[in-house]
Amino acid sequence: MTAILQPGFWVFILTMSGIYGIFTLGLQVQYGVGGILNFGHVGMMALSSYTMAILVIAHGFNFWVAAASGVAVAALGGAFLGLTTLRLRGDYFSIVSIAFSEIVRYVIFNSDGLTGGAQGSLAIMPIGDAYPSYTDTWDTILYWIRDHLTPILGEIADRDMAMGILVWITFGILLFIVSRVERTSWARVLRATREDDDVPSALGKNVFRFRLQAVIIGSIIGGIAGIYWALQVSLLSPDDFLTIVTFYAWMILILSGATKVKGLAIAAIFFGFLYGGTRFFTFWPFSFFDASQRSYMRIMIIGIVLIVLMIRRPQGIFGKREEMVLE
Amino acid sequence: MNNLILEVNDVAVAFGGVKAVNGATMSVEVGSVTSVIGPNGAGKTTLFNLISGATKPDSGTILFQGFEIQKLLPHKIAGRGIVRTFQGAKVIKRLSVIDNLMLGAQNNPGDNLINFFNPRARNAFEKQARERAMALLKQVGIERFANDYAGILSGGQRKLLDLARALMAEPVMLLLDEPFAGVNPTLVEKLLEVLHDLRTEHHLTFLLVEHDLETVMNISDRVVVMAEGRVIADGLPNSIYENQAVVDAYLGTRKLKS
Ligand SMILES: Nc1ncnc2c1ncn2[C@@H]1O[C@H](COP(=O)(O)OP(=O)(O)O)[C@@H](O)[C@H]1O
Ligand SMILES: [Mg+2]
Repeated sequence: MTAILQPGFWVFILTMSGIYGIFTLGLQVQYGVGGILNFGHVGMMALSSYTMAILVIAHGFNFWVAAASGVAVAALGGAFLGLTTLRLRGDYFSIVSIAFSEIVRYVIFNSDGLTGGAQGSLAIMPIGDAYPSYTDTWDTILYWIRDHLTPILGEIADRDMAMGILVWITFGILLFIVSRVERTSWARVLRATREDDDVPSALGKNVFRFRLQAVIIGSIIGGIAGIYWALQVSLLSPDDFLTIVTFYAWMILILSGATKVKGLAIAAIFFGFLYGGTRFFTFWPFSFFDASQRSYMRIMIIGIVLIVLMIRRPQGIFGKREEMVLE
Repeated sequence: MNNLILEVNDVAVAFGGVKAVNGATMSVEVGSVTSVIGPNGAGKTTLFNLISGATKPDSGTILFQGFEIQKLLPHKIAGRGIVRTFQGAKVIKRLSVIDNLMLGAQNNPGDNLINFFNPRARNAFEKQARERAMALLKQVGIERFANDYAGILSGGQRKLLDLARALMAEPVMLLLDEPFAGVNPTLVEKLLEVLHDLRTEHHLTFLLVEHDLETVMNISDRVVVMAEGRVIADGLPNSIYENQAVVDAYLGTRKLKS
């Protein structure tokens, strides 16, 4: 109970919400606009975060170069997935995308020398007097922000709060950019491809190109989320990138109403509260369950919320109903 | 060089065992209205799909303005100026009527992601295209639905939208698959009027599909008759009536003259 009263807990929830929000924004471009069902989105997060971590820890890269490389590798992952599978029917893409992210995770899990394997990124730190951490550069920024917040907020201001602020600024900027992109004629063509290939092709649009671009853009955004994820958790482990993470993003997307970005931030916070909040459901009647049972309950509660939503508001909290029911 | 804009040479395609188009040869003259007629299942729509690239032929060649196009992807063929409508009309239901038209605009800088950083070029094009789209909607008489989802339109209105959207692409040759089927007589008049204007003002070439000769009689310069995947007759509209093969092909399905 006491944890709920701590501001740090809420900061944690909001930070995670923001990271999940960014992650989901990538899916929104792919599915909300392009109708592309990607169930392997977490693979892009894995690629970017591990690339960044490996480059910094094992090869001494500058953090910014490493982070940009991480996002680039996620983009390449998206391009690879798209080039190999997007020409097939949509459902094939969905199936292959799951396999893709699982393969990424298995490769990470089994490449001990490169990634640290099951032990996580801790295992690839060179043994020496000082362990370089990939968060070092970032931490200097966080402490700088904290030092500027302390005079205003006092004791509450800390590193984690600074992290939360940066995550949400990034999320805000990305939401703005994506909402702009979704007003271009590029997005209009992509929206058309969501329903039909024949019409846009007959009008001179290369449907494959638009889909591929959507997948790559979504992967870049997923890659950015991956960098933040890595910075938030400090130590990466292959278990961070289970397929369930992709489905969390799907929940957020469905909650918000997939076709518009405007509900995404609120849906992400809502999810964050369900996800993090259920951890602290230690009071009656939840006190009958032990900790691991309660973690399952979290997924159950999220599931129930989704079912109710699907029945009452299939368009999500902010979507347009008309857009769902047209035949 | 002749004045043929389209030459279909011995084209064939089979779906499983069905030889939908089985060695069809025909051509279209620049600036003409050519109509393909034939009973249901004759292969007319398949011929359209072959010309527009949606279906690839097993054999034969298709030349547009002297270039072989049978191996090109549909969007490349559209880029060369062949634009089609669909049998029964296809609209993007979850886009507004005006946005459906906007899809037709060619060389839109906004289609290219790089130009996200060039809003000036994007917006200028968009504004101009939108005006043209509104004018086309007026021309076909559905401008009052401009901002509604295309999914709310009736069948006839969808046909008008499909046509207007094809025109938005400023085609060199327009392929219309049964544009008059299921459209009420006043609307047919309207469509014929639009087609007439396009022809005289914009020198468009038309290739129409109809299953009924009667409808296209007065507007066609040339009629191509298909049956069972083959072209069985090709000539001036009047000469078709006298063609014995045509009369035979239609026997049992419909009377040629009612
Ligand atoms: N994609 C397809 N798959 C299988 N058979 C097809 C396909 N398209 C057309 N056909 C068949 O090819 C023949 C010609 O069809 P179509 O070109 O639509 O005729 P029309 O437009 O003259 O009525 C029909 O027997 C039809 O069933
Ligand atoms: Mg047909």
